[in-house]
Amino acid sequence: MTVPNLKDVQETCRAPQRHWKFADILADPSIHARWEKVRQYFFLRESTYDMSCRCNIRCEGCYYFEGAKQYTSENRDPEAWRQLMQAEKDRGVTFVVLAGAEPALVPDLCKVCFEEMPLGTIATNGLIHIPETIGYRIHISVWGNDATSQHIRGAADMLIRQIDNYRNDPRAVFVYTFTPTNIDEAREVTEILSRQGAKITFNMFSAPVGYDGPLKHTPASLAKVRETMIDLLASYPEQVLFSNYNAVVHTHQLGLDALFACPYPRRNPSQNIGLGRSFRQYRTDLSWDRDASCCVPDTDCSDCRHYAAGSAIVTSKLFRHATDPETFRAWLDYVDTYLAVWVTGYEKGANLYTGVTEPPCCAP
Amino acid sequence: MSVETKESDIIVRVAEVMIEELKLEDVTPTSFEPDIDLVDEIGIDSMDLATVALVLQDHYGIRFDEDDYPTLTTVRKIAAYIAARLAS
Repeated sequence: MTVPNLKDVQETCRAPQRHWKFADILADPSIHARWEKVRQYFFLRESTYDMSCRCNIRCEGCYYFEGAKQYTSENRDPEAWRQLMQAEKDRGVTFVVLAGAEPALVPDLCKVCFEEMPLGTIATNGLIHIPETIGYRIHISVWGNDATSQHIRGAADMLIRQIDNYRNDPRAVFVYTFTPTNIDEAREVTEILSRQGAKITFNMFSAPVGYDGPLKHTPASLAKVRETMIDLLASYPEQVLFSNYNAVVHTHQLGLDALFACPYPRRNPSQNIGLGRSFRQYRTDLSWDRDASCCVPDTDCSDCRHYAAGSAIVTSKLFRHATDPETFRAWLDYVDTYLAVWVTGYEKGANLYTGVTEPPCCAP
Repeated sequence: MSVETKESDIIVRVAEVMIEELKLEDVTPTSFEPDIDLVDEIGIDSMDLATVALVLQDHYGIRFDEDDYPTLTTVRKIAAYIAARLAS
């Protein structure tokens, strides 16, 4: 596969050349089939939950250890968590993301969540095995090769230990977070993981509020990451869960909020419908704060290119992407990727759009 | 193709699209309560509403503003929005 010429990509808003009816876009059989596939999952309503204030490692730039949430008490009562999950179901939540600081430290609580809410994902550093009885997707964070992980995360032999814990585990997706300093290591790590048959997706380091350290992306690093992502996707299409459009929107000089008007409560005062209405981010004491609610609280919104944020933000912008077949194909690839990365049992199809297209327009 | 322009006819058409696209059961276009809250009482989400808006755009040859459709949370509100667009 030829890597698209990225110099042709303009960092500008783009208007469709003609007005397409939605029905005409869907008249393409491949588009129609993919649309019918992904729309079956429009019932997903997400919220996120910090499971523990503790972590077995400490990574530079970790958003969890920013802000007030790290100081809340831990509710370790399984029955309280069961009641929370039942209440969440009652208000329409169908998908849970168990995150900060390290959910693998509280497997009993994760199991209670799974018993009550069967769809979800756990974000973990992968150094502690999560029992198979918890059937959620497992996202294992990778921040470079083992030398870089030792330096940034203070843990030795991370990749080897992560692979050992989740070898041939169908729940596992390895999430490679690009920083300006680990771009050249991505191929080496992707090769290692691919040889193990592991699934890989990509994330972008998104600076916590006030962070101005070396991991914050620059225009040059964004461009280099985009090229690397697209190259790795072309090289490992069976193992890398991604699309060219994922690469474009997550490496754009404008962050996700500027590109798409983030609908999470933290940035969206409307409570009419969608994430602004239903999304909550629970702390370890089971409290939540609308003003801080998004999937990566205490991240600087203007620098947010986080994969979890994009999964909701870009996916929710169906209306904006239904402008022409090219843009809609790109959006369908993004949604197909999101579902494959986050939902157990969802199989990603081949990407429909192999070019590189800019987002349809920027936020007002 | 001529389209409905009377608000009462538009209400029926919106209900029809809603039932078809969201696969709603136990309701017909004429029995659909136009003031029922689609979010609170039927449980539709922004993706559902966007889908319905796209189909209605095609049918009426109008444009929904991306910022507007999330506020159209009843069939009557959607019909009034369409009627206003057709009249303008």
